[in-house]
Amino acid sequence: MISWIIRRLFAGLVTVWFIATATFFAMHLVPGNPLDNEKAVAPEIRANLEKRYGLDKPLLAQYGIFLGNMARGDFGISFAQENREVNDILREHFPVSAVLGITALLFASIGGILGGALTAHFRGRVADRLVMVAVIAAISVPGFVVAALAQLAIVNMNSWHGSQLLPVAGWGSPSHIWVPALVLGLGTLAYLTRLMRSSMLEVMSADHIVTARAKGLSAMQVFRRHELRNALLPVVTELGPTVAAITTGGFVVELVFAIPGMGRYFVQAVQQLDYTVIMGTTVFYGAFLVLVVVVVDIIYGFIDPRIRLYGADQ
Amino acid sequence: MSSGLYEIENLQLSIGDLHAIRGVDLSLQRGRCSALVGESGSGKSLTGLSLLGLQPAAATMSAGRMCFDGIDVAGIDEQRWRGLRGNRLAMIFQNPMTALNPTMRIGAQIAETLRLHRGMTATAARAKALALLERMSVPRPDAALKRYPFEMSGGMLQRIMIAQAVACEPDLMIADEPTTALDVTVQAEVLALLAELQRESGMALLLITHDLGVVARLADDVSVMYAGEIVESGGVNDVFYRAAHPYTRALQRSMPSLLASDVQLQSIAGVPPDLRRKLSHCSFMERCGQAMTVCNQSPPLLDAADHQRSRCWLSHTDCPQPLREAWHRG
Amino acid sequence: MSSIDAGLFTPLQRDGKAIKDAEPLAVPGLLNRLAANAQARLSFAVLVALFAFAVLGPVLWPQSAAEQWLSDVSVGPSRSYQALLVDPYAEVDLPAAQQLTAVNANTEFVDLVWPPVDGAARYAIYRKLANSDTVAGLPLATVTELSYRDRLQLRRKAYVYRLVALDAGGSALQELSLRVSPVAALSVFEAQMHGLVKTGVSAASLQGQQVTIPAHPLGTDAFGRDMLARLIHGARTSLFVGLVAPLLFTAFGTLYGALAGISGGRVDQYMMRFADFVVALPFLLFMILLRVSLGIGPGDSGINTIILAMLLLSWPGPARLVRGQVLQLRGHAYVQAATIAGAGRGYLIIRHLFPNILPLLLVSLSFAIPSAIFTEAFLSFIGMGVAPPTPSWGSLCNEGIRHMMSHPHELIFPALLISIAVLAFNLFGDALRDVTDVRTRQRLI
Repeated sequence: MISWIIRRLFAGLVTVWFIATATFFAMHLVPGNPLDNEKAVAPEIRANLEKRYGLDKPLLAQYGIFLGNMARGDFGISFAQENREVNDILREHFPVSAVLGITALLFASIGGILGGALTAHFRGRVADRLVMVAVIAAISVPGFVVAALAQLAIVNMNSWHGSQLLPVAGWGSPSHIWVPALVLGLGTLAYLTRLMRSSMLEVMSADHIVTARAKGLSAMQVFRRHELRNALLPVVTELGPTVAAITTGGFVVELVFAIPGMGRYFVQAVQQLDYTVIMGTTVFYGAFLVLVVVVVDIIYGFIDPRIRLYGADQ
Repeated sequence: MSSGLYEIENLQLSIGDLHAIRGVDLSLQRGRCSALVGESGSGKSLTGLSLLGLQPAAATMSAGRMCFDGIDVAGIDEQRWRGLRGNRLAMIFQNPMTALNPTMRIGAQIAETLRLHRGMTATAARAKALALLERMSVPRPDAALKRYPFEMSGGMLQRIMIAQAVACEPDLMIADEPTTALDVTVQAEVLALLAELQRESGMALLLITHDLGVVARLADDVSVMYAGEIVESGGVNDVFYRAAHPYTRALQRSMPSLLASDVQLQSIAGVPPDLRRKLSHCSFMERCGQAMTVCNQSPPLLDAADHQRSRCWLSHTDCPQPLREAWHRG
Repeated sequence: MSSIDAGLFTPLQRDGKAIKDAEPLAVPGLLNRLAANAQARLSFAVLVALFAFAVLGPVLWPQSAAEQWLSDVSVGPSRSYQALLVDPYAEVDLPAAQQLTAVNANTEFVDLVWPPVDGAARYAIYRKLANSDTVAGLPLATVTELSYRDRLQLRRKAYVYRLVALDAGGSALQELSLRVSPVAALSVFEAQMHGLVKTGVSAASLQGQQVTIPAHPLGTDAFGRDMLARLIHGARTSLFVGLVAPLLFTAFGTLYGALAGISGGRVDQYMMRFADFVVALPFLLFMILLRVSLGIGPGDSGINTIILAMLLLSWPGPARLVRGQVLQLRGHAYVQAATIAGAGRGYLIIRHLFPNILPLLLVSLSFAIPSAIFTEAFLSFIGMGVAPPTPSWGSLCNEGIRHMMSHPHELIFPALLISIAVLAFNLFGDALRDVTDVRTRQRLI
């Protein structure tokens, strides 16, 4: 078990290295050097800057410096905002995104698991059909449209009521969290509902469920002890991609609702071609997502003894 | 007929427009092993599930009489059924690899039945489960309790299924193709175990199978099922040596037999009738080498001999003697 | 038991000679099964309509997606109308007036004249829409003359002008008001720009003519561009990216996966390990990263860049799928039998491999298309997609969301089209999967 976890962590580390390398070389595809975009600067200042960012060294040396910095958790200094470390930016903005993302994830996974399990049990009834139509619709509407419509709804609701029931945008109080988190989690909620439903249907028709019923267990006992855990397995494997979807979905939601999270900051950095911030954020998020996948793998191992005892071969 | 442990008369079951069980009579006695034989799709597994009230939710079921140990089970509610299942009525299935919960330890799965019906504590249930595995000759039973199904072989898993089924000392055990998914060498061991348990406990055993060899080894009585109905029933020796129904004989000739190894195997030409249609003629008529004009009407279950009944006009008292003799000569 | 006639115990006369075994079930072809599926038919019809919209749209609706109608900025759905040609910069002699009068009232300019008020030092002019209740805030202008030309974004609506005569100290002496409904007009310069009248002719000679302003069935955007035309051209961009990118990466992935699967052994291992790494890259982040690093040249729409970035990141999906199938097929007895019988590799691929992976690829493709449409929309929405002025549904949403509160149609139409397209592709993919009985777990974003 321990050695299996260590193996997973090591594989994750190698993946992070690959992500960092890909990021580095992708950014160096950019013709010329990043300082060319800056306003005309005095040659000595420019030389200083190049030295500071290591741009005067050969590519491989730069790569070495970059990897070393990454390994120490030093993502460099922002090009666009002088004297601001990328780490400071992450420290300030990432927690906001994390709060929003975790709220959305909780909403989506709890709702999806319950929704999927319930619709599976009431398969074919009107409620099931309605939920499935809603799910398909929710999967097909882009997140930014949902965000915009939600904002429009809040504005209309506030003006209809004559007072501010919910804030339209911004961050700071708990009331700022709910609507963006619901919007952010909606697509994932729909996806997980669908996944859980089909997985539940599969488990419900499994042989061992007949065995459980032949033991004399009640429908509720069969559901709790035998169906739920087995039906959860495919949902748990999807948690990694789910976190990724919520992370990047957060970019748009933060943009629309003016939430000072990492996503909004990242989009700004991209528009300003702030190379160090782009590289730092990509590697940071990449490593974060790899970590999530590893953690999900380990959780999966706890739920599914087959993986825990024999190890997973992709 | 004496009153048995479980009496079923004229069991009917439909799923949508599919009339899957079209009149099954069974009489199961304590201490006896009855076999229900038929090809796949004949409705024998569905019959087994119906005896536990586990027919599919979409099915509609009716029976002239369905009486288990004095209880009219046709009319009882789900809660009373649950009190019987796993307790007085137990069932084991064809594929032990999939019939056990893959994510639950074996010990917990056996203990579940005991805690449910006997109200045992976890410790007591564990001790009983251990004793059961020992009884089933599972090697290293204490380790086996902590294992998961995928860590064990099919033969061991079927022993565990049996342990789970007999945990509450049921009056009737239904074994649905208990050895079909197992290796031939393991089959014999599992069958021996089943026979031994039945002899010890005096429970009734309903063996559902397509394998006549298994029937010959274990069963006292046999019922042959075709297209959702019992076409012949009787004592094993009577039915095997003096089959009264053409289907029974065709079935014997289509299988590698322990009894007649020199007979060339013959397949049964044709296909079973479409059970979505209402049958007014004998269900086997279209494939039967003996078919007669009278077969355009469905035959009732007729007495073919003492304790042997057949759903074939050949057993009718009006059937001309030369025809009968020709049949018995084979 | 009643007795039965002995005549019935005679052999049955069968019509046919032998007892027939079951006929093998005729399995209808993929297309027939699809055609029998209501969901597939409906979603396919929607898809055909969308593609017709994109392909035939420019023929049926020849308005340019870039032409700006400054007289009709951010209007909702509108009909075509006649407009008077005027020259807003021509000097006009204004007559003296007995009361507050509008001499010329058209949507290019309104000339107001009024009689002098005793003691007035200057006149403040206010304007509001006739049907709005707002009390005038800031004046349009404060003038000392007895006339004023209002050229501020006049629409074809009724306005109420209010003239307040002020003394030197700024207190109101007298108030006059006038209701004006300007007639539709277009400046000669604009008319020439749109090609509605000849160029190179003096403005004065064209004044007073009527020209026809085209309809905007879905309104215009904040730059006065026709929404329908932009949606049509946006559809071309979005559907092009949505189709071409998945086709390319599926083709590349198929080759890669087939090569890995057929090579087997160490080559296969290394090839698939590399694919695993590419899968681990956070997709949208790397789409953004590649879009930045590949860059867009001046005048380039950026479509090719997006397609290239998708190709670089998305090929491992189909590659894994195809490799899995190849390995599975290699294990099948009939393929082994064919190999033993001396079948060549090419024959095996064409005869056995291809028919087996085709349904799988089709299903995977039908889910890759909506997700590519989503990706393009996402990138364009955050400004990292196609470069303006090229429209795509995503970039139209990006522009529309800025004016969402005042002109919701600019967001709703493109958003609706994205949703319909993605929904139709998803439903079609669903039906296709059911029909082909292919089991995949495709993520829908």
